[in-house]
Amino acid sequence: MSVTFLHMRRGAAVSMFAVLLVASTVVSEAQNTATVAISVKDHRFQPTEAHAPANTPVVLRVRNLDPIAMEFESVSLRVEKVVAPNGEGIINLRPLSPGRYNFFDDFHQEAQGTLIVQ
Amino acid sequence: MESCHDGQGVGRYQGDATKRSMPRFSSNICGIVSRITSVLQNHQISIAALPVAEFPLRLSVVTTALLMVTTGAKAQDTGVYREIETKYIFGFTEGSGIGLEGEKEVSTETVAGFGKRDGRYGVSETELEYEFTPNQYVQIELGPLMSTYNISNVTGLDNRNQLKFDGFFTEFRYLVIERGPSSPLAVTLSAEPEWHSADETSGAPLVNYELEAKINADLELIPNRMFLGSNVLYEPETSRVDLGVWQNELTVGASMALAYRITPSVTVGAEAWYLRHYDSIGFSAYTGDAVFVGPTMYVQITAKAFMTAAWNAQVTGRDINDNGETIGSLNLTEFTRQRAKLKFAVEF
Repeated sequence: MSVTFLHMRRGAAVSMFAVLLVASTVVSEAQNTATVAISVKDHRFQPTEAHAPANTPVVLRVRNLDPIAMEFESVSLRVEKVVAPNGEGIINLRPLSPGRYNFFDDFHQEAQGTLIVQ
Repeated sequence: MESCHDGQGVGRYQGDATKRSMPRFSSNICGIVSRITSVLQNHQISIAALPVAEFPLRLSVVTTALLMVTTGAKAQDTGVYREIETKYIFGFTEGSGIGLEGEKEVSTETVAGFGKRDGRYGVSETELEYEFTPNQYVQIELGPLMSTYNISNVTGLDNRNQLKFDGFFTEFRYLVIERGPSSPLAVTLSAEPEWHSADETSGAPLVNYELEAKINADLELIPNRMFLGSNVLYEPETSRVDLGVWQNELTVGASMALAYRITPSVTVGAEAWYLRHYDSIGFSAYTGDAVFVGPTMYVQITAKAFMTAAWNAQVTGRDINDNGETIGSLNLTEFTRQRAKLKFAVEF
């Protein structure tokens, strides 16, 4: 009986450790996530050069201030997202190595910008 | 349409992408054509002198010449050419691209084989494909397969003239090495399980399970312009024919391909494949090999549509019979004289 109880306690301890490990990872990741905000108005990105930290997950918030839809697209970032008129799109980027990552509006290709990761 | 008299070539690309118009495109094509002619003359190559049966070879010569004459346009054009997805720019060779997260695509991809040792032989398989990229590392494709068979008087095969639903496929692609600002290499692993209800060569009814596993690698030689691609293929399959006996086969191979963007929307290139075939899933019961070479082309039709085409001719091979003897200089039992690929895709 006491052996079973001991096993249960050990199992509970392992489970709690696992939960704490996962929770700490989530908290750690949440703390290490960078947020970058850009907007589009008159088919131009503002700013045209945004900055983000290297090797850190990035949340990219794209606000479309134009009255028609835009599509944020980037081959090197490997994402595309349609953003509704006067709406906002949220794009989660993987940790990126340092460098320049170009992006554009696929519906109005004159709108171009760069994410500079340092 | 402009005439080809002013000698403007691809080396004239300047300015931003929005200024690229059809007249400039046509004048660049004219320049390319005149420079190809010049290069071929300088190297004493006469395309017309090649025999008709070597037409794919002619295209390869032209493609190679295109690569030679457009190489001079490299550095100054980097700003004009946007980044490109490399998956479909190499013909039969697949690049490392996995698409963009959130992107979906429908396409038809037809692969056809022509020519056996005798008679008339033309067989095609078309994938009606739905493709999507759920995250920045994984791509998934799936869809039904349709086949056509046009076979008459080919030794060892029944005559057949048929269009039929042939099975299903799905493909999983995982990006293991990503290209970055400081790394020109990208590598993707892919696995494509397939189920067929007819023999791919003869069209005879059977049950066939196949797994096409590949390493897809590419290297960016000139930023946004020139790419070197390579595949390593391992493709085991098992088939149950009428008598209920399961028969195993294996095709392995490797390829090298070069692709060059001659305009922002047109990429041309050439590729070579080496393929070996076994009558077992391991590497025993070797039945022969083949080498294919040929030109490739990729065209971005609109921002959301593209086509890719490739044509390979078998230039050498070994066809080994049950007695271990080699028949002819090509392997026309397991492979065809020529093969072609044509794909149209629309993204949304």
